[in-house]
Parts: sequence; structure tokens; C-alpha cells
Amino acid sequence: MANKRSNTMMKPFGRLSITSMIAVIGAAACIPDAPPRPDELRGTSYPAPLEKPDFSLIRTNGDTFDFRAETDGFVTLLFFGYTHCPDVCPIHMANIAAVLRNLPPDVSRAVKVVMVSTDPDRDTPDRFGPWLAQFDPSFVGLIGPIEEVNAIQSRLQLPPASKYGDDPGSYTVGHSARVIAFTADNRAHVSYPFGTRQNDWAHDLPLLVKAEWETR
Amino acid sequence: MNWWCAAQDTAWSWTWQPYAGVWLMVVVLLGARFLLARVWSTAADSNEPGRPLLYVVGVFILWTAADWPIGPLGAGYLLSVHTVQYILFAFVAPPLLIAGTPKWLWRRLIQPDWAFKTAWTLTRPLVAFLFFNVVLLATHLPSVVDGLTASQLGSFAVDMSWLGAGIVFWWPILGPLPELKPMPYPGRIVYLIANVFIPTVPAAFLTYARYPIYALYELAPPINNLTAVEDQQIAGMIMKIVGGFIVFGIASVLFFKWASHEERAETEQA
Repeated sequence: MANKRSNTMMKPFGRLSITSMIAVIGAAACIPDAPPRPDELRGTSYPAPLEKPDFSLIRTNGDTFDFRAETDGFVTLLFFGYTHCPDVCPIHMANIAAVLRNLPPDVSRAVKVVMVSTDPDRDTPDRFGPWLAQFDPSFVGLIGPIEEVNAIQSRLQLPPASKYGDDPGSYTVGHSARVIAFTADNRAHVSYPFGTRQNDWAHDLPLLVKAEWETR
Repeated sequence: MNWWCAAQDTAWSWTWQPYAGVWLMVVVLLGARFLLARVWSTAADSNEPGRPLLYVVGVFILWTAADWPIGPLGAGYLLSVHTVQYILFAFVAPPLLIAGTPKWLWRRLIQPDWAFKTAWTLTRPLVAFLFFNVVLLATHLPSVVDGLTASQLGSFAVDMSWLGAGIVFWWPILGPLPELKPMPYPGRIVYLIANVFIPTVPAAFLTYARYPIYALYELAPPINNLTAVEDQQIAGMIMKIVGGFIVFGIASVLFFKWASHEERAETEQA
């Protein structure tokens, strides 16, 4: 009898605790994560975060792309390269595209990839657009005068692009091999050199997307 | 001029390149076989010339696997081609080299006491099985592939370890010397079939991994539109399907040989 009574008394309390626990877990799930510490990321952290540059260039479809406005709120991977690049550019683009295909949609949809051409003479919209789309149709390709592109690179502490070779058809372009990752706070806390592997992207992108960055 | 194929950080080009070490290997293997046969053979030995054509085909397979274009493509660009090299070095060339060398030449080679003891130990089925599979697994570890294939010496070491392990693996099945106590036919078939399962481990890793396993091939200049993961999946299938096809093919030949051997024995008894 005593047992039966105590069981009856426990039931509402038990229901209440389970409900509270679910509520607490639910609330915890909605709270964004704290920004990752530099040692939690596999990219190279900046000692002081870089401000997202404010510039507009022409997309491969002919539209103007306001970089700061159109990438606001996204994790944005910014890369400077060219379509005749034999190694670094296609490898970076292929690896990022492969990882985005494998990540959960709530992460991959929160990432934008923008590549700015360092070879505007040869990277015409007709060439650059299909070249990028072979990796991922959502990747944004931007073209602008090389002086302007170099000025943007300079603001991001990257070296200017430089041509090597005289043959107009087969010269190479020296450029930074680094992908800069801007987070939702419109700042870059980390960048990714050549040699970053798909496993590294798969590790870092969810952290960059899910963390609560102090928006400005 | 390079002497052996290793990974390079330049874009792939279909321009022919010479590899002096590969030619040297071909010359040494042919020279050793035919020169030693001339120098060491006695009148009695000349009755058994071996099967020189099989030996030459075996050396040709090694040459194909190591030289341009398969050599450099496999060493630095495509894991699938690297796996083709593995199949050629470990599964195709060794049986041909063993079958193409006359018995008396093998006997001369293992004449010194130490050589005979080493051959005896290595050709015990369990030892050969373990030796081959340890080499197989070790040479497919990411640290080994990424670390060794980037240098000419390392790449050479990997290729030669496949060839050596292949000869040790195939000896208990095809070895012609009775003094090394070959296994009976049923034992050979079991030995072969047992070996189908071990390569399944690296093959499964290659086929089902979500991301590329080897940095070397993931960060290699791309060829065509093949992604690193697709290349890796093709490599896994080659290792499992082509390797399995060769092993089961030879196991079938052994089975029929065993059946005809038994039939002959029964006929002789009758």
C-alpha cells in the first residue's frame, strides 16, 4: 500500500523532471556554440582578425556583386586564383566542393565560396563561369581589373598577383594559395593554406558556421 | 633525368620522360637470368631451358608498371594507377618470373647454406602468407604512402617490396623445387582463397571512406575531372575485384590440375 502511494506521488514529479530535462536539452541545442579557440581549428589563426573588405566586382553572369552585403551572415571562403592554374586553384575548389556535398545542409547552406580571378585577361566570364560550376554551381566567380584585385589582396595582407612568362597564351600567375574564411561577424579569424585537406575543412566548417560570433 | 618515378608537384604532362633506374632494373633482371643461365649451366642443365618467354613477359610487365606513363601517374597523381602498379608488381609479374626460371638456376641461387635456410623459412606457407600481408598492409598505410612515394628512393623501396613479397607469396603455389617441400594441391587452393580476404581490409577503406585517405593523391595536380574520392573508390575496386579475379583464376587452374592429377593416379593404380 505504502509503495503504491509513493509511486502515485512520484509520477507527477517524474513527469515534471522529464519535461524540464527535455526543455533544458532543447534550449541547450538552440544556443549557438561559443567561438572555437584557435587551437580547436585546423586552419591558421590570425593574431588579430581581418575585417571583411568592402568591394564590388562583376560576377561571371554579368551582375555586380557587392561582396560585403551579399555575404553578410554567411561563412564566406574567399580565394584569389585563376582558371589556368595547374594545381592549387583546382585542388582547393575541388576539396571545398567535395566537403560541402558531404556536410549537413544546415552547415553547407551557411557557407559561400567566392573566387576572385587574378588573371582577368584570360578568365573571361565564358571561361570562368563553367570552370567554377564544374566544382559547384553555387560558387561565385568575380572578375575585375587586376589593379583593383591587387588592392583588395593588399588589404587582406596577401601578396599581389604577378605574371610569369611572356607568351600571352601560356604564362602562369603567381598568387596567394590561402583561402580566407570570413565568419558571420564579418571578420576573418582563420585562413587555410594549400595543403588543407578535406578532413580539415570537414572539421572546421561546422565549427565556423555554428559558433556565435559577435556580429557588428 | 630521374631514375625512378616519384610524386612531383607539377601538373601532369603526356610528354614522355626517361627513368634510368627502370631500364637498369630491366637490364639487371634479363642479364641475371640469361647470363647466369649461360655461365652456370652444365650439359645436364641444358635439357631444362626453363620457359624463357614467360620470364621475358614477367620483366616486360615490371617495366610497364614502373616506367612512363604508369610509373609517374601511379607515384604522384592517381591512386587507381598506383593500385594497378601494385597488382602488376605483386600478382602478375612474380608468377611469370618464378615459372620462367629453370629449376637448376633456382637450385644454384639457393645453394649457399644461408640462402637455402632463408628460402626454406620464407616459403613456409604461414610465413609467406604473413610476410605478404604485412607488406601489403604496411605499404598501404597513409603515413607510408604519403611519406615514401614522394621520394624516388622511397617509391623504389615500395615497388621492390611488392615484387619481393609477391615472389614469396607465389612460391608456395608455383615454386618448382621439391626440396622446398611444396604444398599439395588442396593446401595451395586453401592458401590462395585465404588470401582473398586480407586485401578486403584496405580495399574496403578505399572504397567506402568519405574523404581521401592519402594526402599525396588528394593534393596532387588533378587529371581530367576525376575527384580524389572517385579515384580512391576505383582503386579499392581494382584491389578487390582484379586482385580477387587473379587469385580465383589461379585457384581454379590449380583445382583442375589437382583433378587431372588424381585421375591420372587412379588410372595408373587401375
